[in-house]
Amino acid sequence: MRTALNEYKVGTGYDEVLSNSGQPTAAASELVSHLNTLSLSEVKELQKNAEATIAQLGISFTVYSDEGNIDRLWPFDLLPRVIDEEEWKQVSEGLKQRLKALNLFIEDIYNDQEILKAGIVPSEIILSSKDYRPECAGMKLKHHSWACICGTDLVRDGSGNFYVLEDNLRVPSGVSYMLENRAVMKSVMPDAFRDISILPMNQYPYELLSMLRSICPTDTPQPEVVVLTPGIFNSAYYEHAFLAHEMGVELVEGGDLVVGDDDCVYMRNIDGLQKVDVIYRRIDDAFIDPDAFNPDSVLGIPGLIRAWKAGNVGIANAPGCGVADDKVLYAYVPDIIRFYLNEEPLLPNVPTYLCSREEDREYVLAHLEELVVKPANESGGYGLLIGPKASQEEIEQFRQLIKDNPRNYVAQPTLCLSTVPTLCDEGVEPRHVDLRPFILQGSKSYVTAGGLTRVALVRGSLVVNSSQGGGSKDTWIVKKEGA
Amino acid sequence: MLLSRVAERLYWLARYIERVENTARLSKIHSQLMFDLPKSVKLNWYTLVEITSNEDYFDEHYDARTEKNCMWMLLGDRNNSASLISSLWWARENIRTTRDSLPREAWVYINEIYLYVKDNLDDLQVRSRRNALLEKVIRACQAISGMLMGTMSDNAAFRFLMMGQLIERADMTSRILDVGGYFAAQEYNPEEVEQYGSILWANILKSIGIYFMYRQAVQIEINGNSVIEFLVYDDKQFRSIKYCADKMHELANILPNSREVLKVIRQLQDLIDQTPEMEAGSTSLHDYLDALQLEISAIHNACYRTWFYPEVEAVSGMQSVQ
Repeated sequence: MRTALNEYKVGTGYDEVLSNSGQPTAAASELVSHLNTLSLSEVKELQKNAEATIAQLGISFTVYSDEGNIDRLWPFDLLPRVIDEEEWKQVSEGLKQRLKALNLFIEDIYNDQEILKAGIVPSEIILSSKDYRPECAGMKLKHHSWACICGTDLVRDGSGNFYVLEDNLRVPSGVSYMLENRAVMKSVMPDAFRDISILPMNQYPYELLSMLRSICPTDTPQPEVVVLTPGIFNSAYYEHAFLAHEMGVELVEGGDLVVGDDDCVYMRNIDGLQKVDVIYRRIDDAFIDPDAFNPDSVLGIPGLIRAWKAGNVGIANAPGCGVADDKVLYAYVPDIIRFYLNEEPLLPNVPTYLCSREEDREYVLAHLEELVVKPANESGGYGLLIGPKASQEEIEQFRQLIKDNPRNYVAQPTLCLSTVPTLCDEGVEPRHVDLRPFILQGSKSYVTAGGLTRVALVRGSLVVNSSQGGGSKDTWIVKKEGA
Repeated sequence: MLLSRVAERLYWLARYIERVENTARLSKIHSQLMFDLPKSVKLNWYTLVEITSNEDYFDEHYDARTEKNCMWMLLGDRNNSASLISSLWWARENIRTTRDSLPREAWVYINEIYLYVKDNLDDLQVRSRRNALLEKVIRACQAISGMLMGTMSDNAAFRFLMMGQLIERADMTSRILDVGGYFAAQEYNPEEVEQYGSILWANILKSIGIYFMYRQAVQIEINGNSVIEFLVYDDKQFRSIKYCADKMHELANILPNSREVLKVIRQLQDLIDQTPEMEAGSTSLHDYLDALQLEISAIHNACYRTWFYPEVEAVSGMQSVQ
């Protein structure tokens, strides 16, 4: 029988399921035994079932293109990714540590700026950041929870070690896909869940709700929580609706909310107005309040920042968080952890060259062919240069961009991302993956058991974003037998 | 507690599902009639366009009044906002944006039938397959209505769904009666009208699935007048205009701030309570149905002013909540 894995050829670099000798890795041994009972055609059949389930559940995301916006079905690969529970515990601790330090940093930046005075982080990085919001100065938040929800991107390098690639502190998305992937997997491959001990992750919405209630600034016993969406045309609308539904709270649009003369926020109901205590907003800072920020925003709620500053409403994530989600600041996070927590970082950063530093810039310009260059302030994998895969023309274009605006670019060595077996047209092949776990910080910290694994479906590609042809996988945190 | 915006979408969602089901039923029944009735009876495919008030759109976008054109405009034409596929799409969009107020199955069900119809639109062009497709649509709509009935709570969200369903149903019942009237009004060849009248009215009852209920309630042979009486005045038949109006009144009574809506519903009830005797096929029937439709649309407008887009006096409203 041609099984899913017996013709699998491990690529260069670290494969998370099979070692170079063809033996399963410790975490993946049970998965491999399970897959070995299936023929390749059976696996392909299961993949079809998974796709049919996704279509039936209507799990979709929106791609923006010149030809208009297309609602696409969520790309999912049947073969899961496995991580050992013990290793995951270490990673989780590192993630909590990191978010705790970043939150202390944000509060410090908008208050005493001790870290700038101590010379740990250069002031100009903060002052030149377009996400620094002077309007937030003087605010102190319950539990220091500014970035209450964080989606940190992790990668494994050639030796299998986890690194933090970036911290997404603004409005990170993807958690609903993580949960849906698991739901699809359970319906398509139920036997695996009987045979292997896989940690559940579906408590996320309740953890989220309890975190949101914990940041209510007033002492209301039953805080009214809402999810604020820009609306149906947003690429993550599916997720906004999903989370509101799972938490059992209202999904509101800007027009549903109004700020009163009493500086409180209300929603418009069929029987009048009702007070709102906590807003989980899925709209960028710049658009949430036309009075405070972008006056042209039609998505926002005039007066919202006033209500927040008056301490009448909690906003997750708080306005101004973006100041800590910046690819330049990223380079300073290990120092930030040491400064506020007096601890060594548990999770390493990828070495990062800041083009604003002269010596770094010279190095970057001389080694563009080997480096990944990123704009400091973009997300979604747009505007990236992957040196080893770029044409001479693209390299020259980036050389000019960096020279014109060095503050706007950072560079990192091209990591050899780990691979996971993935079902492709010709059979099962190794494909590069990253991982986005979700971390909550309110009255307590919480990390999802696993996260959203994104996979670059094109052979050799390192770009995993779903808007650019990436796929996704279920992520299993597995307990070892006997453990 | 319910957001005004969500209430509006739930109301429309129920209207669209009811409309999809009724459009499918109307198309099916019309095909049956076309095959049962003699060629000399002046009933054609264009009648469907007229019943659904789509004459302007049809005349602008189509040439020949053929079966193919009329059916396509009514069922498969995405540019026609009143077509079955468009209504289905709108129902789906409304569920998509109110998912947090509905059982999760609502989305799965609507998505399934929408994708099915979208992928099988060609079947609408072939008579034999068209009926099978319409049958499937009708069943899916009933599954959705039944599922909502069986899994929701009697809360404000549910009441707005009911409101939408009742208003659309009352409107459609009046339109379906108009079809019968249209046929009965054929002036030439009265013998044939006489002869085929019972086929027509039986088919109309079957089209909305209540032939059996009629049979139980009305003992005499099927004729236009008794069917009209059953569908307008019967107080136990779910599809009668009277029943819909009474039910709407009940609902509005337990919804907040409903004084104006209740007043408008009362006007519809008054019009029904006059129970004028009308001959099937008379102009007075047609005018009466028109008057009912106007009252129904007045209720729709009152719902908007009361719940969906009330003029909120922001500050004073807030004081009252505080």
